[in-house]
Amino acid sequence: MFLNFYVNGKQVGINVAPDRRLIDILREDLELTGTKEGCGEGECGSCTVLIDGKAVHACLTVAIQLEGSHVLTIEGLEHKGELSKIQKVFIEENAIQCGFCTPGMIMSAKALLMNNPHPSEQDIRNALAGNICRCSGYSQILKAVKKLAGEHMK
Amino acid sequence: MEIIGHSYPIHDAEEKAAGTAIYAGDMRLKGMVYAALIRSTIPNGYVRDMDFSAVEQMHGIVGWLTCTEDCGEPFCRYRNVKGQITAEQENVWNRRVRFVGDRIGCILAESAEQARIAASRVEVIYDEYPPLLTPEDSISNGAPRIHSDGNVSQEITVEVGQLQDTEAISVDTETILSRINHVALEPHVCTADYNRHTGQLTIWSPNQSVHGLRTVIGDIFKLPYHKVRVIKTTMGGSFGGKQEWIVEPAAAAAAIYIRGPVQLALSREEVFQSTICRAPMHLKARGKYENNGKIVSFQVDNTLDAGAYLGNSKDYCGAVANKFFRCYKYPHMKYTARAVLTNTPVSGAFRGWTSPELAICLEHNINMAARKLGVDPLALRLINVALPGDMDIRINESLGEIRLKECLELGQKCFQWKRKKEDDTLFNKAEGRFRRGCAVACGGHLNGYFPRVNDFTAIGMRITETGDVIANATLHDHGCGTVQLFRMIIAQTLDILPEMISIGEGDTAVTPFDYGCFSSRSTYVIGRAAQECALSLLNRLKLVVSRLYEVPEKELVLSNGSLRFGDRSWTFSRIVQESHSLLQEEISAVFQHINKTNPGVGGAHFAHVQVDTALGDTKILEYLAVHDIGIAINPEMCRSQIQGAVLMGASAALKEHVTIDSKGASLGSLKKYHMLNLSEAPEIEVRFIEDGCTDGPFGCKSIGEVCHVPPTAAIVGAVNEALGSDMCQIPLTQDRICSWLEKNRKDKPECF
Repeated sequence: MFLNFYVNGKQVGINVAPDRRLIDILREDLELTGTKEGCGEGECGSCTVLIDGKAVHACLTVAIQLEGSHVLTIEGLEHKGELSKIQKVFIEENAIQCGFCTPGMIMSAKALLMNNPHPSEQDIRNALAGNICRCSGYSQILKAVKKLAGEHMK
Repeated sequence: MEIIGHSYPIHDAEEKAAGTAIYAGDMRLKGMVYAALIRSTIPNGYVRDMDFSAVEQMHGIVGWLTCTEDCGEPFCRYRNVKGQITAEQENVWNRRVRFVGDRIGCILAESAEQARIAASRVEVIYDEYPPLLTPEDSISNGAPRIHSDGNVSQEITVEVGQLQDTEAISVDTETILSRINHVALEPHVCTADYNRHTGQLTIWSPNQSVHGLRTVIGDIFKLPYHKVRVIKTTMGGSFGGKQEWIVEPAAAAAAIYIRGPVQLALSREEVFQSTICRAPMHLKARGKYENNGKIVSFQVDNTLDAGAYLGNSKDYCGAVANKFFRCYKYPHMKYTARAVLTNTPVSGAFRGWTSPELAICLEHNINMAARKLGVDPLALRLINVALPGDMDIRINESLGEIRLKECLELGQKCFQWKRKKEDDTLFNKAEGRFRRGCAVACGGHLNGYFPRVNDFTAIGMRITETGDVIANATLHDHGCGTVQLFRMIIAQTLDILPEMISIGEGDTAVTPFDYGCFSSRSTYVIGRAAQECALSLLNRLKLVVSRLYEVPEKELVLSNGSLRFGDRSWTFSRIVQESHSLLQEEISAVFQHINKTNPGVGGAHFAHVQVDTALGDTKILEYLAVHDIGIAINPEMCRSQIQGAVLMGASAALKEHVTIDSKGASLGSLKKYHMLNLSEAPEIEVRFIEDGCTDGPFGCKSIGEVCHVPPTAAIVGAVNEALGSDMCQIPLTQDRICSWLEKNRKDKPECF
């Protein structure tokens, strides 16, 4: 099929099999390797991207679902060479270790804050429960998102 | 400039946050093809034939490799040092298959997807043999041999000290540990390239020892080591899972075959089934205690399930004996053990290298002893804990300034131990649906190999005309901040900013020989070398100033990237430029460090849990980890590592289990492998005892593994305290807890 959709604000038109996974389209066809594959079955959250503002697993989404949609990946958060606030706060709060969960974690946090700018701690815990981090105890991640939630409230 | 003790993000945090950090699976080399493994679907047998007719016509197929053809010398996935005595039992592709997931070949294709589909379509014709899925099966009379030299490694017997003839109370306990997986978020991956013109093979992988891996690859393919270049890539977690060689030999074989670049990335199922897991163990312990609670002896018997290849299992099984005297002082131990081969996934290294396993066993024994003696479990630990200057009588080395007693005392205070215990007693008296319990567990570990193996390392440094430093060391950052920590050590020593230091990671063509990142040796051993080398570099700078300006070297004072003498001052930048132009000398230093110490390093962890007696669920209410760390060089990174280890250990205590089905296949999915996630993760408080009294850089000790020693034991202890139970078969799942309640409670509420 010929797929027309948007990735990080840019229009993309490519020939793909209808069942080609979004993660393969991103990583292989568009060379956007920031999105990571940790399990291939929607369990680890490493491949989380936003489609029309909602957090989804790129490993469980296929081409035929994407026509006309707006996909936002970790690479799309940077603006004119400057990292977004959410990326900066993850760095400041030491919320990054091996970094393999980081893009998915940041995208899940982004989706949460877009849809609920003032999340409670429980909202944050629930929203990120599908993103596994094996290095930390989530404390710094939680702190980073709380800080962002606080700043949203200002 | 105060750098040590201040928190810095990991060196590549910005690239990781931006999504631009390149992991081995993100590499795209020109002309690169993708490999997918063909793996055994049976647990025991022989590959009679492989039929590729369904693959031949497929689009994008480049070729395949199989076990029916020559595939290099046999190897041991665990070997790390040339000349190390290991069991070379496996081949890159194994015709005699011994577990579900054994590598029997690979498909090479233009895309990973094509390769994977083709691999699933290869028809393999097996001669099937009956599988041996448990150590009991393998040891039973008449059991067929999995390898020609039998199913059981040499029986290990270690006895240290004398069993004193005092009146003692015996406490017998049993600990059964499940097979668990590291679940590093990044699945195993390797990119390899073979240059047909120069004969150079290059391996990029997230590994823990570039030089160790080089010996294995060189020997399999009979290549001189200078023709094997191994480069450590950004690592998406390891926890020991990437310190054994599984994907690298396969990718190397494929690169040599196609004479070009290949990438092999495993799926999560392949990680579970075809890499390594922590060995299941069955430990039977007898603790002997005086009436006053003093430990007289620990005697432990261990049967370890090695899986299908011996790998590290003989050494791993033996290593348990080296962990008996890392936190408590007592006069006698006896350890008997064996590693048993089975037709199951291969057992291998895991964070802590048997320290957590032994801690689960001994801490449980101590808890049961406290119950039998009618004393407080914390008080029992306080009278047995090793004190500064006590010896590890197994290795006959001093534990140095071990501060475990302070850890226990600080924890007792901060955790409000006494009050919590009283509150729990009251809470449990109500005999409601929920029960609460507190436990404490101690854990000790090492800082490097010494004295078991000679341990040394080398590091080099050059200083540039802009006054900044390029250091050359063989580092393997697992994602826990090793590179940043080295920048901090060097920066503090030279009184410059950490961002003025460049330091890469392991690359056999560039960085000096080093054993690798194991045994918690990076900071303690290589970090000390970095500190010494930076001091040498500083002395070189002083010497240049002294020669050029005739000022006494010893009176030059270091200040903010400059050397001062009275009111005269020379910046590093100026010194280097003038050394180049006037003396025609580069300012550099190299340092070789031989480590000769291994102080006691430990922690005391306190857990408070609530068990739902209706559902068998355990909730962690509070958790405190107190660590004797010498000094926390990068505190927030230490905290984060400790908290991660606590969650990993708590998860092992309550949830994690790689199950094997009746046909010998292990689970292959995160859907079936449960870990504590953010919605269940407790707040984990961390405290440090810092005395700075070791030979490590700035007086530090190790942290990455030791923090994983007490958590499982602490959680198991707290559950048993809540229920009055004596369970020590992990994981303590809902089913296990419910079944214990069914058996043991008179007034039991129904389990749903």
